[in-house]
Amino acid sequence: MRNQLVSQIIKHTIVSRAHLTPEMALRLLTPQCSLWSAPPEENPFKDPYWAFYWPGGQASARYILDNKHLVKGRVVVDVGCGCGASAIAAAMGNARRAVANDIDPVAILASQLNAQLNGVAIDTSSEDLVGTVCSCDLVVVGDMLYDEEFADRLFSWLTRLARDGKLVLIGDPGRDGLTGERRSQLSLMRSYPLPKNICEENHGYTDANVWRLKAD
Amino acid sequence: MSRVLVGVKRVIDYAVKIRVKPDKSGVVTDGVKHSMNPFDEIAVEEAVRMKEKKLASEVIAVSCGPAQSQETLRTALAMGADRAIHVEVAGAEYETMQPIHVAKILAKLSKDEKADIVIVGKQAIDDDSNQTAQMTAALLDWPQGTFASKVEKTDAGLTVTREIDGGLETIKTKVPVVISADLRLNEPRYATLPNIMKAKKKPLKKLTAKDLGVDLAPRIKVINVEDPPKAKKKPLKKLTAKDLGVDLAPRIKVISVEDPPVRQAGSIVPDVDTLVAKLKEGGHV
Repeated sequence: MRNQLVSQIIKHTIVSRAHLTPEMALRLLTPQCSLWSAPPEENPFKDPYWAFYWPGGQASARYILDNKHLVKGRVVVDVGCGCGASAIAAAMGNARRAVANDIDPVAILASQLNAQLNGVAIDTSSEDLVGTVCSCDLVVVGDMLYDEEFADRLFSWLTRLARDGKLVLIGDPGRDGLTGERRSQLSLMRSYPLPKNICEENHGYTDANVWRLKAD
Repeated sequence: MSRVLVGVKRVIDYAVKIRVKPDKSGVVTDGVKHSMNPFDEIAVEEAVRMKEKKLASEVIAVSCGPAQSQETLRTALAMGADRAIHVEVAGAEYETMQPIHVAKILAKLSKDEKADIVIVGKQAIDDDSNQTAQMTAALLDWPQGTFASKVEKTDAGLTVTREIDGGLETIKTKVPVVISADLRLNEPRYATLPNIMKAKKKPLKKLTAKDLGVDLAPRIKVINVEDPPKAKKKPLKKLTAKDLGVDLAPRIKVISVEDPPVRQAGSIVPDVDTLVAKLKEGGHV
């Protein structure tokens, strides 16, 4: 089963560095892949969120690589890791432990493949961490605020983690879940203009921001 | 920055062969492929480009129609619209809905949503009315740039190039404004997998015409729908040689039919001098 999934992932993706973190190679479903423009019902994977390097995830991984002091020697959890980029960035920044977390088991496999590709070691977990007590120093959330309902659940959990003294970083290109009210709880750390190909792949988005959740 | 409202209509796909119902009350729609009106795709594309050029802060797609109109709205969201509003109109009410009703709905929503620019396709390929943009502008008392083939931002508003009989007209309008998209305005993008995936989660609000205070009482009655007239047959008279008194008795006999001889391949010479030498050698000059 595992081998079958791995070969399916390899079959339908290509190794790409054409994104905000070119120092990182990632297996992705890009416009060069046949599934890119195929109707979703022809896709062997159900909702393959892990197959794309979403703009918000690119921004959070870029920010970690540009600020390695934030992760060095720390325990970092990439919640909703998808392709695992932020966890891999944390491992590249010498985190004590970098955990890729996603409730989709295929995302866990993809993250492991991508970590291997970059010669770093990451831990993985497919537990639904939202709402739990998370023993870590830093939580990274890349492009997870696209669903309003889930954003409610996620945001109240993140707020609690920030109050407990954890550093919470959110990468986001301007999704609906990032309402004005929520934005007032965040400090903008960095805004990255998206490369041309990433703009073309993500209709309507031109920049991605990294926000830090305020502790109070 | 502006907020853009785009109207999208679900119509029978342009590639489908239209069939008239036997009772002549309309055309067959059951089990027929539907998609977004092509001119509305152009309208959505223009709105998304405005957002990408940071001329617009938000793009709201609106569709009036039965439940399946939500599929059309999801396409608009996958093309890059931020959120959608479905004004559900079904059954008999949908059959008698006219551009005036849609215009009233769009006008009301433009006010409610504080839109600055309304973009719609110049006409729908099913009823060919070409009225919604004009009526919406009139109801809002906003200027209009119809049949747009180019829209540019200028200091105080927009410069719109319009496709008119025998040429192009360029006009300047202030914002707020209503635009209708013509064929050459842009080439709409396709909805790709990652955009379709994220579009599934974008907000889609459901309303009724009643919520917006719009009366959908019919203003017209469809009497009859018919197939277009078939082309008239031009006269074609049939005769025989005998009718004309011509004897067709053979005067020749075919001995054999063969392919023409295959041409011999020529040769390529490197320069003019060699060519002249060769021609001389062959006694041609």
